[in-house]
Amino acid sequence: MSHLFDHHGAPGKGYAQPKPLLDGSELSLPDNLVRKSLPRWPRLSEPEMVRHYTWLSKRNFGIDTGFYPLGSCTMKHNPRVNEVIAQLPGIADIHPHQPEHQIQGLLSIYFEMQEMLSVCAGMDAVTLQPVAGAQGEFTAVRCFQEYFRHRGEHQRTKVIVPDSAHGTNPASAAMAGFEIIEIPSKVDGRIDLDALRAVVGEDTAAMMITNPNTLGLFEHDIAEASELVHGVGGLMYYDGANFNAILGRTSPGLMGFDAVHYNLHKTFSQPHGGGGPGSGPIGVKQHLAPFLPTPIVSRREAIESEQEQAVDEFWYTWHEPEHTIGKVQQWHGNAGAIIRCWAYYRRYGKELRTMSEHAVLNANYLRHAIHREAKAAGVDHMFVDGAETVVAKHEFTLSLAPAKEALGISAMDVAKGLLDMGYMAPTVYFPLVVPECMMIEPTETESKDTLDTFAEDFAKVLQVDAETLHNAPITTPVRRVDEVYAARNLCLHHPFDE
Amino acid sequence: MVDQLPNLGREKEMLQEMGFDSIDALFADVPMGVRMNEDLPLPEAQSEEELLADAKRLLGSNVALGEKVSFLGAGLYRNFVPSCVFQLITRGEFLTSYTPYQPEVSQGMLQAMWEFQSLISELIAMPVTNLSLYDGSTAAAEAITCAVRVHNRKADQKNTVYISELTPPDRCSVIYNYCQGAGIEIKKLRHHENGLINLDDVANAAGSCAVYVEQPNPLGIIDGGYPALKEIIGEHTALIVAIQPISLGLVEAPGNYGADIVVGEGQPLGSPITAGGPIYGIFGCTKNYLRLMPGRIVGRSIDVDGKEAYCLTLSTREQHIRRHRATSNICTNETLIALMGAMHMSLLGPEGLEELAIRNMAACTFAKQKLGSIQGLSIVHQHQSHFNEFAIEVPDTGKNCLTYLEEKGIIGGFDLSWWYPDKPNRLLLTFTDQTSGDDIEHLATELQSWVNEVVA
Repeated sequence: MSHLFDHHGAPGKGYAQPKPLLDGSELSLPDNLVRKSLPRWPRLSEPEMVRHYTWLSKRNFGIDTGFYPLGSCTMKHNPRVNEVIAQLPGIADIHPHQPEHQIQGLLSIYFEMQEMLSVCAGMDAVTLQPVAGAQGEFTAVRCFQEYFRHRGEHQRTKVIVPDSAHGTNPASAAMAGFEIIEIPSKVDGRIDLDALRAVVGEDTAAMMITNPNTLGLFEHDIAEASELVHGVGGLMYYDGANFNAILGRTSPGLMGFDAVHYNLHKTFSQPHGGGGPGSGPIGVKQHLAPFLPTPIVSRREAIESEQEQAVDEFWYTWHEPEHTIGKVQQWHGNAGAIIRCWAYYRRYGKELRTMSEHAVLNANYLRHAIHREAKAAGVDHMFVDGAETVVAKHEFTLSLAPAKEALGISAMDVAKGLLDMGYMAPTVYFPLVVPECMMIEPTETESKDTLDTFAEDFAKVLQVDAETLHNAPITTPVRRVDEVYAARNLCLHHPFDE
Repeated sequence: MVDQLPNLGREKEMLQEMGFDSIDALFADVPMGVRMNEDLPLPEAQSEEELLADAKRLLGSNVALGEKVSFLGAGLYRNFVPSCVFQLITRGEFLTSYTPYQPEVSQGMLQAMWEFQSLISELIAMPVTNLSLYDGSTAAAEAITCAVRVHNRKADQKNTVYISELTPPDRCSVIYNYCQGAGIEIKKLRHHENGLINLDDVANAAGSCAVYVEQPNPLGIIDGGYPALKEIIGEHTALIVAIQPISLGLVEAPGNYGADIVVGEGQPLGSPITAGGPIYGIFGCTKNYLRLMPGRIVGRSIDVDGKEAYCLTLSTREQHIRRHRATSNICTNETLIALMGAMHMSLLGPEGLEELAIRNMAACTFAKQKLGSIQGLSIVHQHQSHFNEFAIEVPDTGKNCLTYLEEKGIIGGFDLSWWYPDKPNRLLLTFTDQTSGDDIEHLATELQSWVNEVVA
């Protein structure tokens, strides 16, 4: 084990810095605010520091390490040129308060991204400010709120969410002050139009839904659902978490949505970095555009005096929407993530559609291959599809309920068995509507060979006896971690007194 | 041609095996009425080389701070980040992982984040910290809504919080948006003309849910009045202090003078400015707020063999379990940038942090001395302690002053009329460890020339 806090170099040694412009004794602080004792941080030399973090990295699994079929998270390859671009001083060393004429290149990229995202989603206006999908959701429902206030429709206090929705949907709407109406979905996780019909009314502000849904199925009744909600004066919100499945094939605009958030880090590519950063722009139809956060980028033709600093024939400026809700992040969103996603988009251009087609191709192929290999190995009775369907979209669900019932093997056991085979486990126990659920999303950047091998290994795991699987994993840096112990014996920082 | 798809050219083979004749068959479930029938009106795919050329041209046209002499800060600071931080962060095992839902294969990131919590806890003197929020503004907003959840029941002033009137409008706007849903009323705390908080006014905040102040304050002032705040507002009102983390190498940690929640822009530790994101928000608190706080938390635990192991804990606060009753909607956070922060802190060590703080404050103090001697220009709060930045009053608009300085190759600071429209003649000038003595001399010379021009 390597522990950061076990490093106790000599005080005052270590990382060397240039001399300050004045001696410390020439600086003055209020007497009551002079720090009495420095933080008890460890002391490491650079070689020790590099070795510690390299050791830690080896105890972590990323896409670069191996197949990462974590459903709902779209763990696709991150092209390295994007990292190179994001480190260029023209983005890394830019201050958000710099005047427009110093950042025309950046503004032009923002504009290009706004336009591209509008076109792909069938929306009229886009803000890049929200820094994560969940923040995009929150931003959009705040825009809805102001839209209704503006129209004097103060009675619209309810947001409808299917029970198969991502947890962020109800959490975001509740944060904005809406009451959540959860409606049951059908057995395949799809919208139950009757259930929706029963709850829509004058108090409906919006419905939030993802399509394809969290079971990876296309909501074929989506146009009808939109009609129902619009019919009572409500708005339709598209959770873009699963946008990777449909880009270029259909769009939220075509389905009747009024607003959408994009998980740029998923649909495009921004390394997820152990839990972030992300980027969650939103797109809206014209009627909601005046409420978007400020500023967004607009452009006009450059005049002669601007030619020298212009990057093309246009001059790009920050623009404040007329009834803006203000800001949801203090600066201009996660510019570094937006740049990476711009780079990713440029690698595809109009072939973004091919990207989505391959995401869907791979998901369907993997589903097929898993059934094929399970059958060949005689273990196909241990699971069923999470929902009966001819085709899935970018992800699919399996239910391990039969294995649980017959042999006591749970979805979690299979997940841990897969860790022993050298894979990241799929998402388990979500969506909640599928018992013993395993949600698998291969993404478009995995080869057929990887998918075939995973399917074989999946079948192998199902052949392992229950007791061995209960004890899995055994090959990982640690074995099953006691989460109850962690919660009961809270240890949230280095315990100096031990 | 797209080169990112391993199965290009193998579509037919894969489809045939599934019994489909075309990709279209995989989209047969999309109703005709919602299909996109035309191609996307987007340009051709680019090769890596073409992309790089475009990126370099477009981003190269931006004026990077490092190309000029820059005094622009106002919440984000251009600090030096050691090279090995950038090298280590590109390790694919860190870079391309996600939220550690499977702790057995995520021990590296989990331990690194537990260490991050430990480093931040020590820095701000708080027993509990999370793995980061989006930025300083959302950390402030989440702290305020968290304080209302904890204190509203016993509060005399229900659903009411007080924030410093100096809080920049952009940050206020984020706070306002987050407070909307909970119906929280935001009142302002006054400051004296000398820049310090008006402690008499703070007495009005007693019995509300929270008081929010920044240290250094938005004008760079280290306010000696803050240690008196907690006693004035009392046990049932949360004291929330936002910090600049590097300042804590010299300035007392808020946890040691009564703060209940400490937040801040983590950026100066470990991260370039990057036009304002991705950066990371610091959030730490006392145990009173633990179960109602936002964000992910790592706990140290054991595995089935009793071996030390780490995992996410207290997840029942979170949206994926609690849904609309969650303490926050946050899912993706800024872990990777927090990791850069942890790496920077690891390399600095306690004395390195102190030295870095001295360098930042020394640059600011040195500049105060130099600029203080310019006739016709005044340092607004001359007699206060400043960290990183201070406001100056100039004999014409701040805007005109900045234009002049830019002609001389200087990015001259922040026009304070953006924040305080009634103060058109003020600039906020920022000095960090990256500011040299020559930079300051250069600034002083040009400011003097400009003043001479304007006054004449």
